[in-house]
Amino acid sequence: MRFMSMVKSNEAKASPPPKALFDAINELVEEASKDGCVMVQAGGLMPTSSGMRVRLAGGKLIITDGPFTEAKEVIGGYAIFDAKSKAHMLKWTERFMNLHKVHMPGWEGECEVRQIPEMGQEPCGQNSESRAAAE
Amino acid sequence: MRFISMVKFPEANAVPPSKAFLEAMGQLTQDAAKAGCVMVGAEGLLATSAGARIRLANGRVTVIDGPFAEAKEVVGGYAIFEVNSKAEMIEWTRRFMDLHRTHIQGWEGEAEIRQIAGPGEKLCDQALESQVAAI
Repeated sequence: MRFMSMVKSNEAKASPPPKALFDAINELVEEASKDGCVMVQAGGLMPTSSGMRVRLAGGKLIITDGPFTEAKEVIGGYAIFDAKSKAHMLKWTERFMNLHKVHMPGWEGECEVRQIPEMGQEPCGQNSESRAAAE
Repeated sequence: MRFISMVKFPEANAVPPSKAFLEAMGQLTQDAAKAGCVMVGAEGLLATSAGARIRLANGRVTVIDGPFAEAKEVVGGYAIFEVNSKAEMIEWTRRFMDLHRTHIQGWEGEAEIRQIAGPGEKLCDQALESQVAAI
Protein backbone atom coordinates (compact mmCIF):
# COMPACT_ATOMS: atom_id res chain seq x y z
CA MET A 1 0.00 0.00 0.00
CA ARG A 2 1.18 3.52 -0.76
CA PHE A 3 1.58 6.40 1.66
CA MET A 4 2.40 10.07 1.33
CA SER A 5 4.54 11.58 4.05
CA MET A 6 4.59 15.36 4.47
CA VAL A 7 7.25 16.83 6.75
CA LYS A 8 6.21 20.00 8.56
CA SER A 9 8.28 22.35 10.66
CA ASN A 10 8.58 25.97 11.65
CA GLU A 11 9.95 27.79 8.62
CA ALA A 12 11.30 30.75 10.57
CA LYS A 13 13.35 28.49 12.84
CA ALA A 14 14.72 26.32 10.01
CA SER A 15 18.47 25.87 10.13
CA PRO A 16 20.71 23.90 7.81
CA PRO A 17 20.94 20.34 9.10
CA PRO A 18 24.32 18.75 9.68
CA LYS A 19 25.86 16.39 7.15
CA ALA A 20 25.54 13.59 9.71
CA LEU A 21 21.74 13.81 9.37
CA PHE A 22 21.91 13.59 5.58
CA ASP A 23 24.12 10.54 5.81
CA ALA A 24 21.92 8.89 8.42
CA ILE A 25 18.78 9.51 6.34
CA ASN A 26 20.40 8.07 3.24
CA GLU A 27 21.31 4.97 5.19
CA LEU A 28 17.80 4.73 6.66
CA VAL A 29 16.16 5.02 3.23
CA GLU A 30 18.37 2.18 2.00
CA GLU A 31 17.63 0.03 5.01
CA ALA A 32 13.87 0.70 4.74
CA SER A 33 13.94 -0.20 1.09
CA LYS A 34 15.56 -3.57 1.86
CA ASP A 35 12.78 -4.14 4.40
CA GLY A 36 10.08 -3.47 1.81
CA CYS A 37 9.34 0.18 2.62
CA VAL A 38 10.39 1.72 -0.67
CA MET A 39 10.56 5.43 -1.39
CA VAL A 40 9.10 5.82 -4.86
CA GLN A 41 9.17 9.59 -5.16
CA ALA A 42 10.16 12.61 -3.10
CA GLY A 43 10.39 16.33 -3.49
CA GLY A 44 11.83 19.11 -1.41
CA LEU A 45 9.77 22.29 -1.48
CA MET A 46 11.16 25.78 -1.80
CA PRO A 47 10.45 28.36 0.93
CA THR A 48 6.82 29.47 1.14
CA SER A 49 7.89 32.87 -0.24
CA SER A 50 7.75 31.23 -3.68
CA GLY A 51 4.31 29.73 -2.99
CA MET A 52 0.74 30.92 -2.80
CA ARG A 53 -2.72 29.98 -1.62
CA VAL A 54 -5.86 30.12 -3.69
CA ARG A 55 -8.85 30.05 -1.40
CA LEU A 56 -12.56 29.71 -2.12
CA ALA A 57 -14.78 30.87 0.74
CA GLY A 58 -18.20 32.47 0.81
CA GLY A 59 -18.34 32.24 -2.98
CA LYS A 60 -15.20 34.36 -3.39
CA LEU A 61 -11.74 33.45 -4.62
CA ILE A 62 -8.82 34.96 -2.73
CA ILE A 63 -5.23 34.58 -3.86
CA THR A 64 -2.61 35.08 -1.16
CA ASP A 65 1.09 35.14 -2.03
CA GLY A 66 3.66 33.54 0.24
CA PRO A 67 5.46 33.65 2.61
CA PHE A 68 2.94 32.04 4.95
CA THR A 69 4.18 33.92 8.00
CA GLU A 70 1.05 33.19 10.04
CA ALA A 71 1.48 29.42 9.75
CA LYS A 72 3.00 27.76 12.81
CA GLU A 73 4.44 25.00 10.66
CA VAL A 74 4.64 24.57 6.90
CA ILE A 75 5.30 21.59 4.66
CA GLY A 76 8.97 21.41 3.75
CA GLY A 77 8.83 18.36 1.56
CA TYR A 78 7.05 15.16 0.76
CA ALA A 79 7.86 11.58 -0.06
CA ILE A 80 5.77 8.70 -1.35
CA PHE A 81 6.42 5.18 -0.07
CA ASP A 82 5.28 1.72 -0.94
CA ALA A 83 5.05 -0.14 2.39
CA LYS A 84 3.66 -3.47 3.60
CA SER A 85 1.20 -2.00 6.09
CA LYS A 86 0.39 1.14 8.03
CA ALA A 87 2.32 -0.20 11.03
CA HIS A 88 5.31 -0.82 8.78
CA MET A 89 5.12 2.71 7.38
CA LEU A 90 4.85 4.19 10.88
CA LYS A 91 7.81 2.16 12.13
CA TRP A 92 10.09 3.65 9.47
CA THR A 93 8.67 7.15 9.88
CA GLU A 94 9.34 6.95 13.59
CA ARG A 95 12.94 6.03 12.88
CA PHE A 96 13.19 8.93 10.42
CA MET A 97 12.01 11.31 13.13
CA ASN A 98 14.36 9.73 15.65
CA LEU A 99 17.27 10.63 13.37
CA HIS A 100 16.24 14.28 13.71
CA LYS A 101 16.23 13.88 17.48
CA VAL A 102 19.75 12.48 17.43
CA HIS A 103 21.31 14.75 14.83
CA MET A 104 19.39 18.02 15.22
CA PRO A 105 18.81 18.61 18.94
CA GLY A 106 16.01 21.10 19.45
CA TRP A 107 14.41 20.47 16.06
CA GLU A 108 10.65 20.25 16.30
CA GLY A 109 8.21 19.13 13.67
CA GLU A 110 6.09 16.30 12.39
CA CYS A 111 5.47 13.90 9.55
CA GLU A 112 1.88 13.64 8.43
CA VAL A 113 1.43 10.19 6.94
CA ARG A 114 -1.55 9.64 4.67
CA GLN A 115 -2.59 6.59 2.72
CA ILE A 116 -3.08 6.85 -1.04
CA PRO A 117 -6.25 5.05 -2.17
CA GLU A 118 -6.01 1.79 -4.05
CA MET A 119 -8.39 1.04 -6.89
CA GLY A 120 -11.95 1.25 -5.58
CA GLN A 121 -11.11 3.12 -2.36
CA GLU A 122 -12.76 6.50 -1.94
CA PRO A 123 -10.54 9.53 -1.29
CA CYS A 124 -10.87 11.81 1.73
CA GLY A 125 -14.34 13.33 2.09
CA GLN A 126 -15.84 11.19 -0.64
CA ASN A 127 -17.31 8.14 0.99
CA SER A 128 -19.83 6.31 -1.17
CA GLU A 129 -22.69 7.38 1.10
CA SER A 130 -22.15 11.10 0.54
CA ARG A 131 -21.45 10.48 -3.14
CA ALA A 132 -24.76 8.67 -3.54
CA ALA A 133 -26.53 11.49 -1.78
CA ALA A 134 -25.03 14.02 -4.20
CA GLU A 135 -26.16 12.21 -7.35
CA MET B 1 9.46 24.69 -13.16
CA ARG B 2 7.49 22.23 -11.04
CA PHE B 3 4.77 23.00 -8.50
CA ILE B 4 2.79 20.84 -6.12
CA SER B 5 -0.81 21.83 -5.46
CA MET B 6 -2.33 20.50 -2.23
CA VAL B 7 -6.08 20.88 -1.84
CA LYS B 8 -7.33 21.37 1.71
CA PHE B 9 -10.87 21.39 3.01
CA PRO B 10 -12.85 20.48 6.14
CA GLU B 11 -12.98 16.69 6.17
CA ALA B 12 -16.22 16.33 8.12
CA ASN B 13 -18.51 18.19 5.78
CA ALA B 14 -16.77 17.54 2.47
CA VAL B 15 -19.15 17.57 -0.46
CA PRO B 16 -18.53 14.84 -3.04
CA PRO B 17 -18.00 15.97 -6.62
CA SER B 18 -20.77 15.63 -9.19
CA LYS B 19 -20.32 14.05 -12.61
CA ALA B 20 -20.49 17.52 -14.22
CA PHE B 21 -17.68 18.72 -11.97
CA LEU B 22 -15.46 15.75 -12.80
CA GLU B 23 -16.05 16.31 -16.52
CA ALA B 24 -15.22 20.01 -16.21
CA MET B 25 -12.04 19.08 -14.33
CA GLY B 26 -11.02 16.66 -17.06
CA GLN B 27 -11.54 19.38 -19.65
CA LEU B 28 -9.58 21.93 -17.62
CA THR B 29 -6.65 19.52 -17.21
CA GLN B 30 -6.60 19.01 -20.99
CA ASP B 31 -6.79 22.75 -21.70
CA ALA B 32 -4.00 23.42 -19.21
CA ALA B 33 -1.79 20.73 -20.75
CA LYS B 34 -2.29 22.21 -24.23
CA ALA B 35 -1.28 25.62 -22.85
CA GLY B 36 1.90 24.19 -21.31
CA CYS B 37 0.73 23.51 -17.75
CA VAL B 38 1.10 19.73 -17.64
CA MET B 39 -0.09 17.57 -14.76
CA VAL B 40 2.68 15.04 -14.19
CA GLY B 41 1.16 13.25 -11.20
CA ALA B 42 -1.86 13.41 -8.92
CA GLU B 43 -3.40 11.37 -6.14
CA GLY B 44 -6.31 11.66 -3.81
CA LEU B 45 -5.61 10.73 -0.20
CA LEU B 46 -7.69 8.46 2.00
CA ALA B 47 -9.57 9.87 4.98
CA THR B 48 -7.30 10.97 7.85
CA SER B 49 -8.66 8.00 9.85
CA ALA B 50 -6.25 5.91 7.75
CA GLY B 51 -3.34 8.26 8.52
CA ALA B 52 -1.14 9.28 11.43
CA ARG B 53 1.13 12.02 12.65
CA ILE B 54 4.58 11.36 13.98
CA ARG B 55 5.74 14.33 15.97
CA LEU B 56 9.11 15.24 17.45
CA ALA B 57 8.91 17.86 20.19
CA ASN B 58 10.98 18.43 23.34
CA GLY B 59 13.15 15.45 22.48
CA ARG B 60 10.24 13.01 22.28
CA VAL B 61 8.73 11.23 19.29
CA THR B 62 4.97 10.72 19.57
CA VAL B 63 2.72 8.82 17.17
CA ILE B 64 -0.85 10.10 16.92
CA ASP B 65 -3.29 8.04 14.88
CA GLY B 66 -5.91 9.64 12.67
CA PRO B 67 -8.59 10.87 12.29
CA PHE B 68 -7.31 14.44 12.74
CA ALA B 69 -10.56 15.66 14.27
CA GLU B 70 -8.98 18.86 15.61
CA ALA B 71 -7.81 20.03 12.17
CA LYS B 72 -9.98 22.70 10.60
CA GLU B 73 -8.91 21.59 7.14
CA VAL B 74 -6.90 18.60 5.93
CA VAL B 75 -5.10 17.81 2.68
CA GLY B 76 -7.46 15.77 0.51
CA GLY B 77 -5.17 15.27 -2.46
CA TYR B 78 -2.32 16.68 -4.46
CA ALA B 79 -1.24 17.24 -8.03
CA ILE B 80 2.17 18.05 -9.49
CA PHE B 81 2.50 20.33 -12.52
CA GLU B 82 5.26 21.22 -14.92
CA VAL B 83 4.67 24.79 -16.01
CA ASN B 84 6.55 27.74 -17.54
CA SER B 85 5.95 30.35 -14.87
CA LYS B 86 4.44 30.97 -11.46
CA ALA B 87 1.90 33.35 -13.06
CA GLU B 88 0.60 30.53 -15.26
CA MET B 89 0.39 28.20 -12.28
CA ILE B 90 -1.69 30.79 -10.41
CA GLU B 91 -3.99 31.29 -13.38
CA TRP B 92 -4.72 27.56 -13.84
CA THR B 93 -5.21 27.08 -10.11
CA ARG B 94 -7.62 30.01 -10.08
CA ARG B 95 -9.61 28.32 -12.84
CA PHE B 96 -9.48 25.01 -10.96
CA MET B 97 -10.91 26.63 -7.85
CA ASP B 98 -13.46 28.48 -9.93
CA LEU B 99 -14.81 25.10 -11.09
CA HIS B 100 -15.49 24.25 -7.46
CA ARG B 101 -17.43 27.48 -7.12
CA THR B 102 -19.49 26.70 -10.23
CA HIS B 103 -20.16 23.02 -9.61
CA ILE B 104 -20.12 22.41 -5.84
CA GLN B 105 -22.50 24.67 -3.97
CA GLY B 106 -21.05 25.95 -0.72
CA TRP B 107 -17.67 24.25 -1.15
CA GLU B 108 -14.96 25.93 0.86
CA GLY B 109 -11.27 25.23 0.88
CA GLU B 110 -7.95 26.16 -0.61
CA ALA B 111 -5.17 25.03 -2.87
CA GLU B 112 -1.70 25.52 -1.42
CA ILE B 113 0.76 25.90 -4.27
CA ARG B 114 4.43 25.27 -3.56
CA GLN B 115 7.37 25.21 -5.89
CA ILE B 116 9.36 21.98 -5.95
CA ALA B 117 13.08 22.62 -5.69
CA GLY B 118 15.22 21.77 -8.65
CA PRO B 119 18.89 20.77 -8.38
CA GLY B 120 20.82 23.33 -6.37
CA GLU B 121 17.77 25.34 -5.33
CA LYS B 122 17.21 26.35 -1.75
CA LEU B 123 14.85 24.13 0.22
CA CYS B 124 12.31 25.07 2.83
CA ASP B 125 13.51 22.21 5.02
CA GLN B 126 17.06 21.35 4.06
CA ALA B 127 16.75 17.95 5.71
CA LEU B 128 14.90 16.67 2.67
CA GLU B 129 17.77 17.27 0.34
CA SER B 130 19.25 13.90 1.17
CA GLN B 131 15.93 12.13 0.58
CA VAL B 132 15.78 13.60 -2.89
CA ALA B 133 19.38 12.65 -3.56
CA ALA B 134 18.68 9.11 -2.36
CA ILE B 135 16.29 8.28 -5.19
